[in-house]
Amino acid sequence: MALVWQIQCTASPPLPSLPFFKRKSSSSPSLPLPLTRSFRLRFTHVPSPRPVAASISSVESPTSVDGLGNNKTPLLEVKGLTAVIAETKQEILKGVDLVVNHGEIHAIMGKNGSGKSTFSKVLVGHPDYEVTGGSVVFKGENLLDMEPEERSLAGLFMSFQSPVEIPGVNNIDFLHMAYNARRKKLGQPELGPLEFYAYIYPKLDLVNMKTDFLNRNVNEGFSGGERKRNEILQLAVLGADFAILDEIDSGLDVDALRDVAKAVNGLLTLKNSVLMITHYRRLLEFIKPTFIHIMEDGRIIKTGDSSLAQILEEKGYNAIPSA
Amino acid sequence: MAALASTHPNLLQFTPKLTPSTRKLTPSTRKLKHKRIAMKLSVQAISASPQTSFTDQYVLQLADSLEDSLPTSSFALQNLRNNSSETILSTQWPSRKDESFRFTDTSFIKNSDIKPISHPPKSLTFSDISRDTQLKSFYFADGFLLDFSFDSSNLPDGVYLGSLSKLPSDGILERVSGLLGDLEWSDLFWSINGLGAPDLMVVYVPEGCKVEHPIYLKYIAVEGGDEGSKTMPLSNPRVFVLVEKGGEVGIVEEFAGNEESEYYWNNSVLEVVVGEGGKVRHSYVQNQSLNAAHIKWTSVRQESTSTYELVEVSTGGKLSRHNVHIQQLGSDTVTELTTFHLCVGDQTQDLHSRIVLDHPRGYCQQLHKCIVAHSSGQAVFDGNVKVNRYAQQTDAGQLTRSLLLEPRATVNVKPNLQIIADDVKCSHGAAISDLEESQLFYFQARGIDLETARKALVFSFGAEVIDKLPHTSLQKQVKNNVKELLGSTTKDS
Repeated sequence: MALVWQIQCTASPPLPSLPFFKRKSSSSPSLPLPLTRSFRLRFTHVPSPRPVAASISSVESPTSVDGLGNNKTPLLEVKGLTAVIAETKQEILKGVDLVVNHGEIHAIMGKNGSGKSTFSKVLVGHPDYEVTGGSVVFKGENLLDMEPEERSLAGLFMSFQSPVEIPGVNNIDFLHMAYNARRKKLGQPELGPLEFYAYIYPKLDLVNMKTDFLNRNVNEGFSGGERKRNEILQLAVLGADFAILDEIDSGLDVDALRDVAKAVNGLLTLKNSVLMITHYRRLLEFIKPTFIHIMEDGRIIKTGDSSLAQILEEKGYNAIPSA
Repeated sequence: MAALASTHPNLLQFTPKLTPSTRKLTPSTRKLKHKRIAMKLSVQAISASPQTSFTDQYVLQLADSLEDSLPTSSFALQNLRNNSSETILSTQWPSRKDESFRFTDTSFIKNSDIKPISHPPKSLTFSDISRDTQLKSFYFADGFLLDFSFDSSNLPDGVYLGSLSKLPSDGILERVSGLLGDLEWSDLFWSINGLGAPDLMVVYVPEGCKVEHPIYLKYIAVEGGDEGSKTMPLSNPRVFVLVEKGGEVGIVEEFAGNEESEYYWNNSVLEVVVGEGGKVRHSYVQNQSLNAAHIKWTSVRQESTSTYELVEVSTGGKLSRHNVHIQQLGSDTVTELTTFHLCVGDQTQDLHSRIVLDHPRGYCQQLHKCIVAHSSGQAVFDGNVKVNRYAQQTDAGQLTRSLLLEPRATVNVKPNLQIIADDVKCSHGAAISDLEESQLFYFQARGIDLETARKALVFSFGAEVIDKLPHTSLQKQVKNNVKELLGSTTKDS
């Protein structure tokens, strides 16, 4: 059974890249290459890419995939995004352009108040902000049309800069609910509490947390480092195609930072991407970025590779000429 | 005198009823002979106090029927009854004009035909009496303490649990009698219980004795009026807890409703005296039927360095009012009140608490949470803390949080701290809101839809209090009940 592929080398228009496994299951014997990539083993979050397939109404046939090694379909494409604060109508984002491909690690740096966190919150769908223009396409879908929970189920994860406390709801219940929501979306049976516990238990080692963490209420009484590690634990449990880490390094001591970086690196694959927002070079030494963007006044003014961080460290933001 | 009589016809009209003798004070004897009738009441009291000009006809009728329903009993109770009836004469049925009942509408009790229950129920379905061997269980049916043979072998020596009439020691009897019914700022319902309580249950913990397992008091209502008739059976259970120096005990009170008996009025009183260094952990779970009236008084007296902890979860009753009065009698006391009220129907949940601090270095924390999940539901909170002149270095905190989940749901909160001392640390806060946006968003950002998120957050709002119940089996039971009640509201909406 030969499957007809349309291999698109150009990036436009972005076509839905169907997940691997789907094709695998529809008996495709002529796919030696994908099979050698032992994705299943590294993917700790198997189900998550599927939602895109479920929600796509248009093209169903398998299209450009990294079967041949290069997937040039961007995972996320942001064009001319402008946004304001919903209450005051003050403009924060003044036309952001960004392209993130599969398997890339991006970092955004910039002065305080340049709009970095706003950008990530807009992507996630925070009600405090209103989009006034531009487009965001995530895995071929218009992200801005989706509700926050739909975006999360589509594979977008954001680790908050200051995660909110939820007294009364404990960690394991919360994760259980979120995980089952994903499984439901994929049409898979939900996991019972014991099975879920068995699933989550090994992940604790990944973030170097003890089991009693699970019984505590979400972020209640957590120190800064514990909150950040809790966010990464959620990432590990729920999985994502695109993870936005908003200042994951703030408030962490050296060891905690190392643990977090190790966990993130462990979750990275060639399929999923990460966008880090940070101020300091140290995190970038642990998680090596493919690209670094400098954001200023609601726009990305410069894109470079990791050497950019060195320049910033030495000379500050004024050394970067705004284009 | 004649003038007095003419302007206050009510007074004389009812005095005859209160005297048990058949001697009737005819209008011609309006001269108010001071007849000290050695039976039940002293008429002296009536003429002395000028407030009797406002004697409430309805109240007196009720007092009368209460008296008729009871047999004469032991001396201690008799004293209580006498004092209560004296007080009742000068008390009016509370109206909306009284500050303490401004938001609480008691008219539906008043408009019913109140019948004090005079006998314990003849037949009891033992289905609702579960035997939990861990807990020492005592049952009150319709206000009467049921006479089961309790296994008191597991209790430490000297501990007494049972009716006042069966107290073995006279010394304890004397102490109890001396302290019984002593409350400066009480209301009509306290007096009604004083007058109408058929028996008194005493929990006595001697000096230095730590009772390991909690004492479980379950109040069940057997008699009840149904929809058509306007009768409302009234029960007055009364418990007195005396913990001597260094003693420790846990008390669990559970008020359960019955499917069949819908309309009834449970008017109960719990008095606690905690001796020096003693500790009482009080859990109170109220789940009466949705047409019942539930009025409860908890009066606590704390000696120095004692601890009193209350955890309350009230979910039932058409009108539920809990009055708490805590009197500090010594320094360095610890008082913790944690309460949770839930309205899922046309209900009123009311908490009126008063903590009076007169001694230094007291520590008291109050957390009150209520959820109103119905458009005709109402929650009322009046939390008063009096930090008087000599209560220096007091650390008092009060926080009330209310969740209104339906349009037109109402909550009335009046947190108040009256501080006279000048070297204290006091705080109070009140918040009435819907669920927190940031928390809801956090759920959404993790893929959980809004509906599920709301359910989880509403439940967790109450769970903070339920988690404080000291016994896990009780916690579970209450959690399931609350989940069920909350679940039923979201299905309808």
